[in-house]
Amino acid sequence: MRRLIAILGATLLVAAACGGTSGGPGASATAVKLNDGKLVIGVINDQSGVYADLSGKNAVEAVKMAVEDFKAKYGDNVLGGTIEVITADHQNKADVASAKAQEFYERNGADIILDVPTSSAALAIAKVANDQKKLYINVTAASTDLTAAASCNKYTFHYAYDTYMLAQGTGITVTQQGGKSWYIIYPNYAFGQDMEKSFRAAVISAGGNVIQSDGSPFPNTTGDFSSLLLKAGQLKPQVLGAMQAGGDLVNVVKQYNEFKLKDQNIKLAIGLLFDTDITALGQDAFAGTLYTTPWVWSMDDQSKQFADKFLKRTGIRPTFAHAGNYSAAWQYMEAVRRGGTDDADAVVKQLEGYKFSDFFIRNGVVRPEDHWVMHDALIAQVKPKSEAKEPFDYSKVVGTLSAEKASRPLADGGCKMPK
Amino acid sequence: MRRLVGLLPYAVGLVVALALPRFLYPVLALDILLWGLFAVSVDLLLGFGGLLSFGHSAFWGLGGYAAGITAKALGVPFPVAAVVGAILAATLAVPFGYLAIRRRGIYFAMVTLAFAQMLFYVANEWRDLTGGENGLQGVPRILPGLSVGRSMDFYYAALPLVIVGFLLALRIVHSPFGHVLVAIRDNEARAQALGYPTWRYKLLAFALSGGLAGLAGALFALGHGFASLDLLHWTTSGTAVLMTILGGIGTLWGSLVGAAVVLLVRDTLTNAPEASGVVTGAIFVVIVLAFRRGLWPTLADLIRLARSKGLGP
Amino acid sequence: MDYVALQLFNGLANGSFYALLSLGLAVIFGVLRVVNFAHGALYMLGAFAAYLLLQDFGVGFWPALVIAPLAIGVAAMGLERLLIRRLYGLDPLYNFLLTFGLTLIIQDGMRLRFGLQGQPYPAPAELTGSFSLGPVGYPTYRLFVIVFSLAVCVLVWYVIERTRVGMVVRASTERPELTRALGINVDRWVTPVFGFGVALAALGGVLAAPMRNVSPLMGSELIIFAFAVVVIGGMGSIVGAVVAGFLVGILASLAAVFNPALENVLAFALMAVVLLVRPAGLFGSVDRT
Repeated sequence: MRRLIAILGATLLVAAACGGTSGGPGASATAVKLNDGKLVIGVINDQSGVYADLSGKNAVEAVKMAVEDFKAKYGDNVLGGTIEVITADHQNKADVASAKAQEFYERNGADIILDVPTSSAALAIAKVANDQKKLYINVTAASTDLTAAASCNKYTFHYAYDTYMLAQGTGITVTQQGGKSWYIIYPNYAFGQDMEKSFRAAVISAGGNVIQSDGSPFPNTTGDFSSLLLKAGQLKPQVLGAMQAGGDLVNVVKQYNEFKLKDQNIKLAIGLLFDTDITALGQDAFAGTLYTTPWVWSMDDQSKQFADKFLKRTGIRPTFAHAGNYSAAWQYMEAVRRGGTDDADAVVKQLEGYKFSDFFIRNGVVRPEDHWVMHDALIAQVKPKSEAKEPFDYSKVVGTLSAEKASRPLADGGCKMPK
Repeated sequence: MRRLVGLLPYAVGLVVALALPRFLYPVLALDILLWGLFAVSVDLLLGFGGLLSFGHSAFWGLGGYAAGITAKALGVPFPVAAVVGAILAATLAVPFGYLAIRRRGIYFAMVTLAFAQMLFYVANEWRDLTGGENGLQGVPRILPGLSVGRSMDFYYAALPLVIVGFLLALRIVHSPFGHVLVAIRDNEARAQALGYPTWRYKLLAFALSGGLAGLAGALFALGHGFASLDLLHWTTSGTAVLMTILGGIGTLWGSLVGAAVVLLVRDTLTNAPEASGVVTGAIFVVIVLAFRRGLWPTLADLIRLARSKGLGP
Repeated sequence: MDYVALQLFNGLANGSFYALLSLGLAVIFGVLRVVNFAHGALYMLGAFAAYLLLQDFGVGFWPALVIAPLAIGVAAMGLERLLIRRLYGLDPLYNFLLTFGLTLIIQDGMRLRFGLQGQPYPAPAELTGSFSLGPVGYPTYRLFVIVFSLAVCVLVWYVIERTRVGMVVRASTERPELTRALGINVDRWVTPVFGFGVALAALGGVLAAPMRNVSPLMGSELIIFAFAVVVIGGMGSIVGAVVAGFLVGILASLAAVFNPALENVLAFALMAVVLLVRPAGLFGSVDRT
């Protein structure tokens, strides 16, 4: 009898000791149990094409940074297993993206996929994520279809920005400032087509009109936009809305200057602008341009801190895609920690309705109805080189778009999330 | 005894085909199977007809899109969609072939390449039908009564169709038609002098080959749930030609081996920076310079050597 | 109307590249009986050479116009000696496949080194700015490209048709055995002619650099158009290659006025028509088929 009590007592003591040391400082009460003993984060993006600079390999670095910082904050074994980051290049091709995503989920045991620029690839992976019942947080694509009836699903989340946000910011502001008639050129795939739709709606809502819109081939192997720019010269709109992104945008701006359209009073409005585009042509080529963005590295101290770490690691200042990947990875790991498991359905429950703020997301709410992450956006303007205080100091913030204004009304999307 | 040895490739082939998805990632196994059939279709034309088509991706891709569109729009069982793809590809092969066969040798290759590229641009432009750059997504695969959602299940469901296609190619080659084709390949003038309407034979061979490629492409699109412009790109044609040559021109079996080797090499090197172009190109250069015979004849030689030394059956 | 006229100039500019590339292809095929699939990749290397000359050595456009084609041409001569000549005795299809393999290696290799993004290359200061064509400006540089390419094509035609060197090359092309019998060392000409044909492609690349994206895949679609042009013009014909090149460029751009979708498809549709009506090509001769 005494022996039994001693054994029971010892067992209780050991159990208490184990319970106390699990997780480390600041750990939640529930120890995290991973499905296969490891957390695998997949980053699929463009590592060799037109979008390689704005996300690409440096986005993978950003995710790795998030993992390292997370472990530094909570302890190496915070999630009860190793945290692995794997990556693949989808070459801006939807079929490659789809195949790689399936392989990551099936063959490599990936628990989540992040990043994915190029809307056609992003939408393809949304479908794979739903089929495989695994998590997918898209950071770098812009298509509103990710959260609309067309492609929204239980496992897909849309994190940083979308075409609606960009159009509400840039489209409305430029129209209100006197650019009433528009000619829109866009890359002819999911992203560009979506941008055209969103901008057209925004311009019209602000009292402007769209004379015409034309698509350019994507990917654009010749880099030649001359026939479209010649057409702009013929149509004579007040604003040329260029929806091309990355390397394509660099060519459009170059040729816009070549054909001297500014002298013909045709203003250039840019749908989507990344810091890496500005680096490619030089600040002065873009000086004065207004654009919408979820984040600028120099906007406050918290952001500058992150940007400094990033600069040391990669040699450049982060684009909002890089920062967004860090933030999304962090919030995912937090959700796993809160829920105590990496089981996809449980993490979805943790994310839906979650309110948060970090250096990248301000006033953030994960909308349970369509999995769009609502947050404030910024209207920024490119400074001329003379005003730059250091290399990469490209923009200043000139306005804010509140989370409500920046997020598409639920009724317009029509997403019916399964219970 | 001879008969048994002759049946050996068939037996081994069947065993390997049945076991493949258990040893490899099922999607990779499916790819090997379908690219193998694609390469066989190229070999049929090249090895036996003497015609190098460098635009066979037109049929592979057309088969893929046709099957995808049919499956999405009509919800038919996947074998039906696959056959639709094959028939449409064979049909397109007729006008393409008619024009291409007007030239010979290297020009034929260039013309087929150009036509395939034209189809690529048409598919890109015809966005309403093909989805353009976005591709045709969400292609369903249905088989009444069975679930073929998982890659492994689809592999076994598609295997019979692939076997039929392969046996068809073998049958064509060993038929009187096939023998005339080889005669035309060796000396067209002589065949014409003997009274054969050579260009009709060549056209028929082209159409059959196109149909087979279309079948393979259709199953590929159904298997991946996706049809994209890549199916029509000239690098796809080039890869199929590589597989044929690597395996050995004019052997049919060799094409299957070639496909397996190329895809396995590519898969192993996936962890290295995505350098499939350099790898494929290097294989091409080495093969063309030093190893034109290909794997299958070399393998056959090795077996013969082993047998003569009293080592084999 | 201005728009159509401007598109015409665009067509001539595009046609210039088709013509230069097809010219090189035709010359190489004429003498070596090799269809050089790598021609597009070598055009791309010419553009990159110009870019690197500027980036790493500060050498500008005008010297690059001479240095790049020379460098790439010499490198190509090495390729010919090392690899291509091993396959002369065989079916020309093998050399086609060899050059195809080389294309993949060159393009993918450049992609690994430089990415697909495309490097900027500025037009030379003397040629920036635009020419007034009616109320719209047309970039002066593009006009330069048209004029320069035409001049090069005429020059090459003159050399081949009117000089002794050209006569030897033509003789080697049309009657190699007879030419040898007359005591001329045909084989000695093979390598330099290959280098020359490639140099023409590289020249096209340098001209394209300020106008297009300097990116590893810049030649990969162009080569197929060049093939179509060569089939239209007639494989062995120098004049055919140049005329067909400009023709295709102009017609494609005019087609784009009606429907942008037609621009890419036109070259192939033309090729189909030519195959139907005159299989040897506009300027080709039947015995070359």
